[in-house]
Amino acid sequence: MTNTLLKFQKALFILSLTLFIASCANDDNIDTSVKFDATQVLENIPVNVITATYTDLDLGAENLVIAVEELAANPTSGNLLAAQSAWRLARTPWEQSEGFLFGPVETEGIDPSIDSWPVNTVDLDAVLASAAVLTKDYIDGLDGTLKGFHTTEYLLFGTDGNKQPGDITIREFEYLKAVTQSLQGATKQLADSWSPAGENFQMNLINAGKSGSIYPSQKSALQELVNGMIGIADEVGNGKINDPFSQENLLYEESRFSNNSKADFADNIRSIENVYTGSLDGTSAEGFSDFVIEQDKELDTKVKSQIADAIEKIESIPGTFGEAVFNNKPAVQAAQDAVRLLQQTLESEVKPLLDKL
Amino acid sequence: MNQEILFAENNEHQLIKHCKRARFYFIDTIVLFSIAFYRKKFILLFLISIGLSACTKDPAAPNPDFTEEEYYAGGATTVFDVSSAAFSGPATNLSAERLLLHMEGDAAFEATFVTAPAPVNSGLGPVYNQSACNSCHVLDGRGAEPSVFRLSKTGFDTNGGPLAIPGFGGQLQNLAVASVVAEGEVIMQYEALLKYFDDGDQIVLQQPIYSFINLYQPLPNGFHFSPRVAPPVFGLGLLEAIADEDILKYADPFDLDKDGISGKPNYVWNQETLSATLGRFGWKANQPSLLQQTAAAYNEDMGITNKLFPEESSKLQMQYDGMQDDVELTNELLNAATFYVQTIAVPAPRNLEDPEVIAGKKVFMAAKCNSCHVPRHQTGIMTQPELANQIIYPYTDLLLHDMGIELADNRPDFQATGSEWRTPPLWGIGLTQIVNGHQRFLHDGRAGSLMEAIMWHGGEATGSRDYVKKASQKEREQLIKFLEAL
Repeated sequence: MTNTLLKFQKALFILSLTLFIASCANDDNIDTSVKFDATQVLENIPVNVITATYTDLDLGAENLVIAVEELAANPTSGNLLAAQSAWRLARTPWEQSEGFLFGPVETEGIDPSIDSWPVNTVDLDAVLASAAVLTKDYIDGLDGTLKGFHTTEYLLFGTDGNKQPGDITIREFEYLKAVTQSLQGATKQLADSWSPAGENFQMNLINAGKSGSIYPSQKSALQELVNGMIGIADEVGNGKINDPFSQENLLYEESRFSNNSKADFADNIRSIENVYTGSLDGTSAEGFSDFVIEQDKELDTKVKSQIADAIEKIESIPGTFGEAVFNNKPAVQAAQDAVRLLQQTLESEVKPLLDKL
Repeated sequence: MNQEILFAENNEHQLIKHCKRARFYFIDTIVLFSIAFYRKKFILLFLISIGLSACTKDPAAPNPDFTEEEYYAGGATTVFDVSSAAFSGPATNLSAERLLLHMEGDAAFEATFVTAPAPVNSGLGPVYNQSACNSCHVLDGRGAEPSVFRLSKTGFDTNGGPLAIPGFGGQLQNLAVASVVAEGEVIMQYEALLKYFDDGDQIVLQQPIYSFINLYQPLPNGFHFSPRVAPPVFGLGLLEAIADEDILKYADPFDLDKDGISGKPNYVWNQETLSATLGRFGWKANQPSLLQQTAAAYNEDMGITNKLFPEESSKLQMQYDGMQDDVELTNELLNAATFYVQTIAVPAPRNLEDPEVIAGKKVFMAAKCNSCHVPRHQTGIMTQPELANQIIYPYTDLLLHDMGIELADNRPDFQATGSEWRTPPLWGIGLTQIVNGHQRFLHDGRAGSLMEAIMWHGGEATGSRDYVKKASQKEREQLIKFLEAL
């Protein structure tokens, strides 16, 4: 037997022993050692974070519709910039909603109408060249890759970052007007689905554990929230940053036409922050933090600082993300590492706390 | 060996949650590890004796109505999650390296395809049903309405499968890329069908009626069609890992034991072996493997050609693009997507201590639902290591049964007749609402609740259905509680 193998076996033995002892040590904490009344957290987050974000999103989409109409009526550089800015402003609450991709956005199939990627440029060209009357209804009937944020982005920003009002054809203006109306239809559907005035999905979280809610317990509602946060951290760290970065290929950059990627990533992490703190403006309200802090004050501090660090690292990437992928690899790497660290903490330290509930 | 360590770590994780059963297994694992690698150390015996006394001091009372195994419906892959992510968790016993492959497959499952030529995700269509796997398999769960309609005309093709309709193939593609026309659409309406329980309570079933409209060319007279809901995709690797002989031992195609339950294997064309092998996936068990199921879905549902199905579904049709860009999916992505669906964890059942759930299980057994929805299986060894030798509780025999005229699609599929369906698994079925936001069941989603689904059962399941019809309201509620706990 080689020395290495012996060492390995010794390590294995010690590991087994540690696990063994750890498992026994945990015996006293099985099942329901932790009591936490999540009522306030579950009354606050769905209303003041989730529904509020969707309301902002719908307002942003409405403003985008108006900005595009003004641009079409009066295609000046100023109006193009205003429409591009309206796109970014609408994009912010969408990215800030991706930390809670559950409920109607998934079950009603709304996400593909808002955020399909990539853009089907071959079909878009064909539709533009066709005689089809470009109305909201017509666009609604198209595949997701011909509508939503990214198709709008493609038409508003162009592929070389130098779009001029004069580049936009009459057909493209017609498409832009219809596609932004279609986008707003989807954001309205989404906002209505959570609103008490609409389908009121928020009541499922608020009433978790009571009859009428799809969540059989407060624990399952908290699981939903933490899974949402982990999901977007994973998406940013291992998808949105990783795909273009590891392959050094900007074709995999999601918001590459607008160079909005850094804002996308940071807003995705803010989505985690909003659920965690229970508010949209960074102030502390009844958030997921309330649950963590009761179990492990240090962990709570760690999560908050890792959220702040991830946002900071993303925003301090010099220039555009597309440039940094080639010219500032250490900065991109640092941002990716920070996001992955946050994911790791949420997954292996925060989520297991729920097992004791 | 690495995997064993990681498996042990995962075991430890689960053990904290469900120590009742796992700790004994865990001690076994430790003892085995230790004996194997450190047997010469006397200290070991000492440690084990301390460990055993420490850990067995406070054994939780076993649940007499559910075995310890039943708490882990998916064996060592089982995930404990009661959120909308319940059908999407990676098998909990995947090693870090294998988890990366799973995640690669997850990304492939979410990838949205676009019309060729395109730099990313090229090759959609020309005719298709959806542009991404997860458009139908939302959150890896169940569709509410049919997402595809299978088509055929009377007869069999050279491989014994359904006979394709010229101009349509074996499936209606209701969407198309911009330059060509889609094949047509289907409108669905429901007609109320009133049924009664023996105590006089009524239940309204919804009989679907389908109309084919906007057809780009006429369908032939007497064509057959079958509406298909996207089924949940978790736990499929475990079902694939059950050995053929362990499925066939439940087979009784001619009902020789005269219990009214047949259990007929479907033998279907296997594109890898180029022969007929046991079918086990799809509503009529018409796919022999997850690789082929996945490859066929890429090809038929999205128009993405691949090594198993290298020709466009539209070949010989006017929509065929003739682009010479096939195959459109790399083997790596096909394999990753297949590995993904093989290694999605099964969610654990819930509330097994609830007296109503326990009573419901007794109704389930008394009604002989378990004749076809066979609760327990053991997987074989010819599979991915994470899936081998697992005791699982899928509640299916993976065999075909005649379900009666009311459920019939009248479209034969290999050995499956027009009224035969494969027993679908029941694991995780109680999480449908939380994951997919609806409670629609059966092959075409016609049942608006679990009880409606039961009441649609006919044919071989008539006896079981009639038992439920005869049961008291309380027993019926208990039965539903049990199903909701799965």
